[in-house]
Amino acid sequence: MTTCAPTLLELQCAVRRDLLGLSDGDASGYVVPDGLAPQARLAIYRNTANSTLLTALRLTYPAVQALVGSEFFEGAARLFIEQHPPLNAQLDSYGATFPDFLAQMPEAASLIYLPDTARLEWAVNEALHAPDAKPLDLRRLEQLDAADMHVVRFLPSPAARVLESPFPVDAIWHAVLSRDDSALANINLSADPVCLYIHRGPSGVEVNRMAEGQCRFTAALIAGRPLHDALVDVPDAETSVWLAHLLASGCFVDIRLSNEASSQTIGRQVT
Amino acid sequence: MDAASVASQFAHDLIPACAGVGLRFRHHQEVVEEQPVAAWFEVHTENYMGGGSAPAYLDAIRRDYPISLHGVGLSLGSAEGIDVRHLESVRDVMKRVEPGLVSEHLSWSLSDGVYLADLLPLPMTEEALSIVCTNVDRTQTYLQRRISLENPSSYLRFRHSTIPEWEFLAEVARRTGCGILCDVNNIYVSASNHGWDALTYLEALPPESVTEVHLAGHSIRQLDQGQIIRIDDHGSRVAPPVWDLFELALKRFGPVPTLVEWDTDVPALEVLMEEAAIAEIAIERQRNDNLCAHAA
Repeated sequence: MTTCAPTLLELQCAVRRDLLGLSDGDASGYVVPDGLAPQARLAIYRNTANSTLLTALRLTYPAVQALVGSEFFEGAARLFIEQHPPLNAQLDSYGATFPDFLAQMPEAASLIYLPDTARLEWAVNEALHAPDAKPLDLRRLEQLDAADMHVVRFLPSPAARVLESPFPVDAIWHAVLSRDDSALANINLSADPVCLYIHRGPSGVEVNRMAEGQCRFTAALIAGRPLHDALVDVPDAETSVWLAHLLASGCFVDIRLSNEASSQTIGRQVT
Repeated sequence: MDAASVASQFAHDLIPACAGVGLRFRHHQEVVEEQPVAAWFEVHTENYMGGGSAPAYLDAIRRDYPISLHGVGLSLGSAEGIDVRHLESVRDVMKRVEPGLVSEHLSWSLSDGVYLADLLPLPMTEEALSIVCTNVDRTQTYLQRRISLENPSSYLRFRHSTIPEWEFLAEVARRTGCGILCDVNNIYVSASNHGWDALTYLEALPPESVTEVHLAGHSIRQLDQGQIIRIDDHGSRVAPPVWDLFELALKRFGPVPTLVEWDTDVPALEVLMEEAAIAEIAIERQRNDNLCAHAA
């Protein structure tokens, strides 16, 4: 039992290790028993914290939960919470690595599409909570001269994402969340890979499927590749339609010439 | 802008000494569409960081109601100091919402860069007092405004504590000039769990520092060895003895902005409004008593 008075730093370190289950009984020596064992008192806090984080994961990953069942989800989430506690109090941003965690769980290996379904849910979650940004004002393009057209690139909206998967995760996600069992039963897992454009529109987050060329083109522009280069990389008659679609959906917030530094940092996920 | 509209704007921004309601996501649309007769709303600051529909709803609601910001993530009791990025996020929400009150907790949640998702208790020592005061000072300087500190509910005490919690909180307010958010349910829960006298707690808080009162429901958990512990879970109506303690708090502090919180199994908005109406009756009664005492 710990007897001498700890500093606040030492005490908080001991309580943290105790709540994370790293070192059993480490903090209990500092706690007044007073009719109830110190470990039982600490467990009240541990349970509250775990339950808060479990709720945060349930809110972000409803389709994963529906696919694996509530009990399995809770078990996986508890293991994840223990190994990957949050680093800040913004719980909307907690759980980014849960898809990778699921991917290495042998118990979940039979659901081969599960990690990518989780990745889609994470992308949707990020798009949902991304900072607000005004869509690009097209008059900015009018100000460019001919030479600029070779080096112009777009700054993506923080709420725009591209996600690729060998499985039709958008169809799985949609069928699970709308509880459409017949749609779920009809999903062909060996169909072609999907490429998804995820963005937040005026009526919420949208997930749109793209063709292979459109995917490469969109991913390149979101990654900050100059428009000219993206057009060369993907020589397709449809590029102007794709670009119009991206502009109309608010995918970009500003333009830069490729020799200019970005004035803002914008998170993006292109896989 | 003329004096009347300045006064009206000022009144709109202030949190009135009336009963308000904790605003939760499931009530956003109803509040925007039906504009219930509520004096003010309080939201959890962390729920409105970032963009999207939640802050957009809050923008709309803010046009019609005063808003108070209540944070859970600053960890003002951390020995490592404040997470400046989190403080920046609080400031961003503050700029957007222009709240009437900003509050946080006398607790800690961050240690070694890990967020322990609960409001953890502090040892009541001179060292912790000094650290909390430094963190509150930094926060108020950074945000350029006074914040209020809420007394926590707690389920454990540390052996090396030397200062009663009520004296600790009053001293933080005295040293930093911060306000006190007196959570009457938390006083009741902690007093019951630790054998404290709830009245002693109330009477130790300087009335001039109390900016707001919180009310909420709690649950009673029976433990294996037959002991009972009260858990501040914000999942039910305010308990009768907490209403009694609230009356005593009003006698001591006078009419103050009072919030009914409900976070677990959040019920229909009308249930929250009913609880707020009960609080409002008590506040009105206290206001009348004060007027009568003044007239006499």
